[in-house]
Amino acid sequence: MTTDALDPLIHVPARLRIVATLAALPDGDALSFTRLQKLIGLTPGNLITHLRKLEHAGYVSTEKNGSGVASHTSVALNNRGRAALDTYTAALRDLIAGL
Amino acid sequence: MGENTDVNETGAVDEGSELDPRTAATLLEQTKRRAQRQFEFPSPLLTLIQAGAVLAAYGAIWLSVRGQNPYSGPSYAALAALYAFVAVAAIAATWEGRRASAGVIRRSSRQQWGRAIPLVSAFLAVYVLMGALRYDGFSHAIVYGILPAAGPLIVVGAAMAGYAAAREEWQVLGVAVAAIAVGAGSAFAGPAGVWGVAGVGLCAVLVCRAIAQIWLRRA
Repeated sequence: MTTDALDPLIHVPARLRIVATLAALPDGDALSFTRLQKLIGLTPGNLITHLRKLEHAGYVSTEKNGSGVASHTSVALNNRGRAALDTYTAALRDLIAGL
Repeated sequence: MGENTDVNETGAVDEGSELDPRTAATLLEQTKRRAQRQFEFPSPLLTLIQAGAVLAAYGAIWLSVRGQNPYSGPSYAALAALYAFVAVAAIAATWEGRRASAGVIRRSSRQQWGRAIPLVSAFLAVYVLMGALRYDGFSHAIVYGILPAAGPLIVVGAAMAGYAAAREEWQVLGVAVAAIAVGAGSAFAGPAGVWGVAGVGLCAVLVCRAIAQIWLRRA
C-alpha cells in the first residue's frame, strides 16, 4: 500500500486538521468560522480556500447567517466527510502497519 | 458573536510538501485530542470541582445534623453553606460551558431544552414531594433528612440515565446509575448519616469520572 491510497483531499496538513477538528463535534453541530480559524491557526484567506475545496467535494457544508457586520459563517462536517475521514484513518493505519 | 468574514476572499494556499504517513497520523491524533479538549464539557477539572463542592455541601449539612436525636434538620447556616457550594459549582460549570460551546452552533436548541427540562422537573419534584409529606405529617427525619439528601440523586439520576441511554452516552449513563445507587444506599444510614454517606459516595463517583476522562484522553 502506498500513499496513493490516502484521500488526497484530506492528506494535506491544513485540511486534515480542519476535518479532524470538525469531526470532534457531535453529528449535525457546526462551528463558527472564527472559532475554527483560532483552533486551526490559518489566515482567513487560507482557511476559506481549504474549506471551499472540502465543500466542493461534499465533505463540509458552510452556512452564512445574518448580514453586514452581524453576519457569521458556520462550518459543519457532513456524513460524507465523516465517512471520508474514517476511510482515511483506516487507510493510514494500514499503511503505517505495513511500513 | 459577529464576524465580518468575506467568504469571497481568497488566499494562496500552501498544500505543503508531501505528508509523511507517520507525521499525518501524529497530526491527526494531536488534532483530535486538542479538539476534544476544547469541546469537552465537563472537563476533568470541572468534574473535580463538582466533586469537591458536593463533598463540602453535603458535609456541611452532615456536620449540622449529626448527633441530632430526635432529628430536626440542618441549621440555616448549614443550608447557606450548601447553597454557597452549589453556587460555586454552578458558576464554574457556567464559565466552562461558555468556553466549551463558544462558536459551536447546536443542531437544535430544542435538544438542549429536551435535556434540561426532565432534570429540572425531577429536581423540583423532590421538593414538592417534601412539602406534601410534611403536610401529611411525616417526620422531620424523612422530610428534612432522607428525602432531600437521597431523593435528588435517585430522581435526577434516573432522568439523566434515561437521557444518556437514549443517546448512547455510556460514560454519563454510568455516572447516573452510580448516583442512583449512592442515593438509594445512603438512605440506610438514617436521616443524619444519609448526608455523610451520600456526600462521600457522590464525591467518589465524580472523582472516578474525572479519572476516567483523563484516562480516555490518553488512550
